[in-house]
Amino acid sequence: MQYAAELEELGLQITEASRFLEKAQAELARRIVGQEEVIRRVFIAMLVNGHILLEGVPGLAKTLIIRTFAAAMNLKFQRIQFTPDMLPADLVGTMIYNPKEMEFSARKGPVFANVILADEINRSPAKVQSALLEAMQERQVTIGTQTFPLPEPFLVLATQNPIEHEGTYILPEAQVDRFMMKVLVDYPSYDEELEIMLQSASTEPKEPVMPVVQPNDIMKARTLIDRIYVDPRVQRYIVDLVVATRKPAQYGIAPLEAMIEYGASPRASIFLLLASKAHAFMQQRPYITPEDVKAIAYDTLRHRIRPGYEAEADNIRSDDIIRQILQHVPVP
Amino acid sequence: MLLPLLLAAMIGLAGQSVTARAVLAPRGITVRVSPDTVLVGDRVHCVIDLEHSADERVSIERLDTLSTNQFELVSRKQSASALPSGGGRERFELELAAFGLGRQLLPPFTVVYRASGGQVTGRVPVKPDAAVFVKALTDSTMHELRPIKPPEKPSLPFVLLLPVIIAVSGGAGLVLLVLFLLRRILTASAEKIDPGQVAQRKLRKLGSRLSAGMPPPECYEELSNIMRSFLEKRYRIRALEAVTQEIERDLKKLGVAGFESIMSLLKQADLVKFADSRPDQEESRNSLHKAEEVIRTARTPEV
Repeated sequence: MQYAAELEELGLQITEASRFLEKAQAELARRIVGQEEVIRRVFIAMLVNGHILLEGVPGLAKTLIIRTFAAAMNLKFQRIQFTPDMLPADLVGTMIYNPKEMEFSARKGPVFANVILADEINRSPAKVQSALLEAMQERQVTIGTQTFPLPEPFLVLATQNPIEHEGTYILPEAQVDRFMMKVLVDYPSYDEELEIMLQSASTEPKEPVMPVVQPNDIMKARTLIDRIYVDPRVQRYIVDLVVATRKPAQYGIAPLEAMIEYGASPRASIFLLLASKAHAFMQQRPYITPEDVKAIAYDTLRHRIRPGYEAEADNIRSDDIIRQILQHVPVP
Repeated sequence: MLLPLLLAAMIGLAGQSVTARAVLAPRGITVRVSPDTVLVGDRVHCVIDLEHSADERVSIERLDTLSTNQFELVSRKQSASALPSGGGRERFELELAAFGLGRQLLPPFTVVYRASGGQVTGRVPVKPDAAVFVKALTDSTMHELRPIKPPEKPSLPFVLLLPVIIAVSGGAGLVLLVLFLLRRILTASAEKIDPGQVAQRKLRKLGSRLSAGMPPPECYEELSNIMRSFLEKRYRIRALEAVTQEIERDLKKLGVAGFESIMSLLKQADLVKFADSRPDQEESRNSLHKAEEVIRTARTPEV
């Protein structure tokens, strides 16, 4: 049995268009050991114009992943280290006076790149965070009176350290919500660590990462992703999952009611659908299944659910809440 | 010889008369206290008047240490006035907090007389006979407490009640035992129902509904539910809330017979449910037959 003719056609196009992902993944695998899930999430975000908040202790190759990703995808990369004394102008740019021409001209800041690594975003004050998050949302920056569009594709990967909180400015919930996914970067496995050690403990210069993808490939993939079929059952399943974070009792998980201070916003439904489409695209499928939704549910929902006082007292994290929801909301 | 001795004796007597000017109620020293009855912790006002001659000065020695267990000096005030007789009067107004219980005499003190040059001319210890009656905050004279009521004796003697208690407990125990046995029987009979048989019955019904004109997509949806329900009961895996991939993982782990056929059926159903696939009547009927076959071969419990 095959699916509908139009999906058949779309399936072939997706198979063809998604080849670049294999090449990029192979190039990344030459430099990065493990962290496949994180890499997959970065691809998903790039495919559907999302941004990622990466959380993990220092030294887990977060910067290397992103730098290598940008190089393999032939995209302009900028790493911005967020510090407490940073100003919005350090990020977006500022007006510079030109004495020869006797006028002010705009000097673009480091945010004008395709892939931005906002390292330790929670180290800078709220106004700098807001400037970046506004740029992420609007995809344009205003310097003085001029508005400049940001380059396409534009992907922000912000990192924050989960352990250190001293001297940091916690991102407000409204701003965290703008990130499509919050990905937790974990330690490598024993074998991976062994391989990393053997690969990195050398003074020889590393082979440069080859650009194997053209930005145009990404733009083409985006048009196909928009056409991916989403059955009404899956649409309802996505909304069910998001609503269950707000009203768990409706889904037979009444004990969670006291555990959640507030649930996911409608942005969660939008990003859940978009990320599921990108996930299906990566599986070369022209339609979404609940598997796609479940696969990215944790990353899309974890920063949008705030565990309540009772949950914190019982050491229940948002991931535990999501697990409960996924186990109880009936799959179509 | 006797004269100097007599003189010496007279001088000694004269000196004694200076120091022993007042002992209990010396002349020229007045102590008053008001009120005379207070509750414990209340304050009393004490006035000490010391009269002295014009060429004398008078004070109370170490007035600050006047506090005792029964009295605590809270505040003090000192004033002086001249007497018409030519001498003077020193007034000490003390505020004391009263503690202790019952009649409490004011604390003793020493009055010091000095000449105008400052040298001490006399020290008079005073034990005032003024007293304050201090009452406790609670009235220990309450005698209206009712005596504890003795426990009532049961109207029926315990010997008569004992058989009734035994009978009631025995009856309750019996009911619980019956309920327990009933539950076990019901559980056992429920376990005896083969999930395969249930699924086969449901599939046959689904086949007849398909023949009666049920749309094939609906048939596949129902087929998927029957299969998941069967897998959940037979293999004790979470199948109704799981996606096909999760079921695949669990079945692979269990090494289930007919694994490929089961997965093929579930994936076909997924295509209909999520990929807008439109199977015809014949395809649906074939899938139903395949499902019946899978369930028949998987009859022997794997777990």
